[in-house]
Amino acid sequence: MTDLEQILSEARAKVAAATEAESLRAVDREYLGKEGVVAGLLAAIPTLEPTERRAAGQGANEVKTAVLAAIEERKAELAKEALSAQLSGEGFDPTLPGVAQRRGSLHPITQVTRELEDLFTSMGYSVLDGPEVELDHYNFEALNIPSDHPARDSQDTFFCDPEGHLVMRTHTSPVQVRAMEQLKPPFRAVAPGKVFRQETTDASHEHTFHQMEGLVVGKDISVGHLIGAMKTLLRGIFGRDLDVRLRPGYFPFVEPGFELDARCPFCEKGCSVCKRTTWIELLPCGLVHPNVLRMGGIDPDEWSGFAFGLGLSRLVMLRYGIDDVRHLLGGDLRFLEQF
Amino acid sequence: MLVSIKWLGRHVDLEGLSPEQICEDLTLSTCEVEGLEPFAPHMASVRVGEVLSRERHPDADKLSLCRVAVGDAEPLQIVCGAPNVDAGQKVAVAVVGTVLPGNFKIKKSKIRGVESRGMICSVRELELGDEHDGIWVLPPDSQVGSSVAEALELEDWVIEIDNKSLTHRPDLWGVRGIAAELGAIYDRPLKPLDLSLPEVGSDAAFDVRIETPACSRYMGLVLDNVAAGPSPIWMRHLLLAVGQRPIDGLVDLSNFVMLDLGQPNHVFDLAEVPGGVVVREASEPCSFTTLDGEERALQSGDLLVCSAEQPVALAGIMGGLDSRVGETGSRRLLEVATFHPATVRRTSSRLGLRTDSSARFEKHLDPTLPAKALAHFAHLLGEWQPDVSLPAAISDCGDWTDPAMEIELSGDHVRRALGVDLADGEIRSILERLGLACSSGTGTWNVAIPSARATKDLTLSQDLVEEVGRIHRYGNVPEASLVADVVPPPSDARRNLVRRVQDRLAGAGQMHEVMSYSFQSDDLLETLGWTAKPHVEVVNPVAAGMSRVRRAVLPSLLGLLAEGRRQSNDLRIFEVGKAYVPNPDAVDGQPIERHEVALAWAMPCASPDAAFDDSRLLHLRGMLQDLFVHLELEAPIWTLDEQAPSWAHPARALVARVGDSEPPLVRLAELHPEVAVALGLEGELACDVALAEISLDQVLGAPQAASAYRPIPRFPGVKLDVAVLASEETLAGDVQALIEKAGKGLVRDLELFDLYRGENLGQGRKSLAYHLQLQSDKRTLSDKDCAKFLDRLERGLRESGAELRRS
Ligand SMILES: [Zn+2]
Repeated sequence: MTDLEQILSEARAKVAAATEAESLRAVDREYLGKEGVVAGLLAAIPTLEPTERRAAGQGANEVKTAVLAAIEERKAELAKEALSAQLSGEGFDPTLPGVAQRRGSLHPITQVTRELEDLFTSMGYSVLDGPEVELDHYNFEALNIPSDHPARDSQDTFFCDPEGHLVMRTHTSPVQVRAMEQLKPPFRAVAPGKVFRQETTDASHEHTFHQMEGLVVGKDISVGHLIGAMKTLLRGIFGRDLDVRLRPGYFPFVEPGFELDARCPFCEKGCSVCKRTTWIELLPCGLVHPNVLRMGGIDPDEWSGFAFGLGLSRLVMLRYGIDDVRHLLGGDLRFLEQF
Repeated sequence: MLVSIKWLGRHVDLEGLSPEQICEDLTLSTCEVEGLEPFAPHMASVRVGEVLSRERHPDADKLSLCRVAVGDAEPLQIVCGAPNVDAGQKVAVAVVGTVLPGNFKIKKSKIRGVESRGMICSVRELELGDEHDGIWVLPPDSQVGSSVAEALELEDWVIEIDNKSLTHRPDLWGVRGIAAELGAIYDRPLKPLDLSLPEVGSDAAFDVRIETPACSRYMGLVLDNVAAGPSPIWMRHLLLAVGQRPIDGLVDLSNFVMLDLGQPNHVFDLAEVPGGVVVREASEPCSFTTLDGEERALQSGDLLVCSAEQPVALAGIMGGLDSRVGETGSRRLLEVATFHPATVRRTSSRLGLRTDSSARFEKHLDPTLPAKALAHFAHLLGEWQPDVSLPAAISDCGDWTDPAMEIELSGDHVRRALGVDLADGEIRSILERLGLACSSGTGTWNVAIPSARATKDLTLSQDLVEEVGRIHRYGNVPEASLVADVVPPPSDARRNLVRRVQDRLAGAGQMHEVMSYSFQSDDLLETLGWTAKPHVEVVNPVAAGMSRVRRAVLPSLLGLLAEGRRQSNDLRIFEVGKAYVPNPDAVDGQPIERHEVALAWAMPCASPDAAFDDSRLLHLRGMLQDLFVHLELEAPIWTLDEQAPSWAHPARALVARVGDSEPPLVRLAELHPEVAVALGLEGELACDVALAEISLDQVLGAPQAASAYRPIPRFPGVKLDVAVLASEETLAGDVQALIEKAGKGLVRDLELFDLYRGENLGQGRKSLAYHLQLQSDKRTLSDKDCAKFLDRLERGLRESGAELRRS
């Protein structure tokens, strides 16, 4: 073995023994550095016989090239090893949980109200608002419920003065006449909001709850239109067609008036939600009574309309399966965090 | 209201219709059915027995040992304690296995050592009446072994109808009215009923005087030779079926007529009203004891039926205790009248005394009905007590008119309003079935409205549309689409604003939205010292101390803090809602409505050496500033709140305003420490609470600063940190102004990141450290620019008594 072969073989052995970038760089410095082995070989050339110089130069360069190649090869190997070590699953626990993020929430009534508002505005309805502390005029009188009308009994009204001039609105229907005063027919409007009934609270009764009023005024509005609009509404709420039925219901501000029932979405043969009837009483509705149109300054001979009053709180309870209405306004964090 | 199907069958043939079917059809065409129950279901297994023999119980004097045939091969041995049991009687036997009312199960037993296999029942034990002084002796022709229900034709179903759904239908407050509905639905005629006035004697009519417009008709019929005693058994069973306890023969009859025809009536002992009756309004407050023994405080205007001396009945509501039908004489006065609905309603509502009678009167009864009810009463009484005589002419006073009338209706109107293609003939036929006769003619007819439907119910052509629609069934109306020009509805600024606020607070702010009651408790308001402030107040709150309607939303959140803190160490809640402030200047009396957002953020108190940015107040301020940027509002000016509300720490309260808006855009403060304690936020629940209220009304009117594009800087900026040593009194805002001044318009992204106080700084000193960037749009800044900036800053600070900390 010549000296050069000896040098090369030692160098290769050192390269192969290097297990990290730093030791490889040390080999690089030892052989290829300014004062390295190869540099030494080259520096010795002038001392040689002229005939030997050429071969010695070639030999030194060959050593240099070979060591360089070995180092590069080893470097690639090490990189590959390092990558595969990086890619190994060792030390990784796939079941560690994500770092907890705080989140806020929108009240379920807000969420369902928005859904309905969006559905209705997409069909050309305006969204209106009305006061919670309302004049008797709008809450009753203008809705064809004069004082001493027995229909006032079922309203369980909170009165804000002894004369009953001002009341906590018992339904969102007062917005009907306010809308008529404000908008020119034809128009379509919904009005969500809080309503109040003076009643004892329990799991299914609240003195404060939410409704959404709907009102459409136009030419020749018929019961057929009302049915069509209500079916569209239910498709929007439940995401599928539900059978509905209209049955007579008495509300002084509509004529004819109906209760709209929807086929219970939770059962086929009756369950606790539908009180075993397979029907869920969803909303009162009807064609707007001509007296109410007149109260709103609209000529009933020229215009007609339909109105409906959707129980938002009830709908929210149905949607989420909430079993106690008092949770809605109770402010319990354990309830709110679920939405 | 309860309605018996058997009772309905007296008026219309319901052959072939199941109770369920009838309920379904009433639901779809007429009213709301709330339930359907069998009448006395236990009677199905109570059998007719015949007492074959009766012997004395060997060991008990008062017990009898009976052998009773009940249709089985062997008679049953039954021990019976009733004194009236005897051989040969037909009796009601609850055999072993029967369950009687009260979940009383009949078992084989030994009574004083003798086996007894069943029970011979009294009427009361079967809940068919009050009689309990002996066993019930059945008619002799009862078929032994059959069920008593079958033998006595007790089988019946009872429908419960929601009264509210009958509010507009005085005619349906009688069984015959509902039968007429079923007749229309099934196209079956009503059975005839003799309602002609009875023959009467020649005595002068009983003296009746009406001294009020609140009684439009008063009829009186004198009954003579009336016998005491129970009403006919068939009547008692019908009354029982609809939940009316049989009381006394005449009272039962009076009830029966009311329930049958919907016309209340009253029977007086004639001795109680010797000189005739006067119907008048009470002229002054007085007291009156009603039949139920309650003393009632009457007001002037309450309607009374009076004898010469004193009131004898609260008209249309309840008789007086003293005029209860006694068993003294045999002469009675039957009163059948029409009282003014609102007057009856007012009195009965005020007294909280709602009776079957007042419920009917307040629905506007047909003034022709008294004559029919009087006739019906007289005929039924005659059948039951043939010896009764009617000696005097019928009294009939009052200023009433027959409300029957006509309404013009066109077939087109019906088709247009229902959206259904019904032929004229079909429309007319439905109306006729309902007893609404149509004049001849094509296209348009006059529809005759009989008095029973004309008082309140059918007054407009729209009402007739409903009549046709409900009998035709709304289920047969095809669905139609609304057609109109597609115009996007006007956008609603407030609603849009509310959505953006909610989304930002629940999203970036990680807050939970709550909705709370519009009422705030007196306790809560007392804590804030707000009870003297004017509030909208309800006169009939759900509970004492819950009458005030909130005049600000924020206190609603205060009430949730203690419980919320128990649930969470980082409680962030907000509410968007309305508040009401009484407005004495409003012509219509309506209060001022305010739209507000209230926010609360509570976390455990920070340790004394915590960084400055552990303050809830500063976090909430940051959140609000972010919200305003998000809403693209012009940056408001923050100042100390000179009129901090009582929930606020008086010295740590801020307001943000744009211009001199009142109320401010935002009030922001730490919770007042005393209020915190009153709210229960002490001990483990003690916490750092920041509160804010945003006036949405102000935000809506605030000037906008819409996001605008600024070119990306073309030259690199220089980032650096500066620390300023200043006296405790120096305001951060002043330091910031000095930095910006020294920067000559080059300072960007100035951010306070540390506020430090320490012994090494000396007493009354603090250090404020800032990140900032110097940035020019015209050139790349050099180290020299930086040095110049720091020099200027150093000079500026020194002039203000502060110094730049060189590191
Ligand atoms: Zn169901």
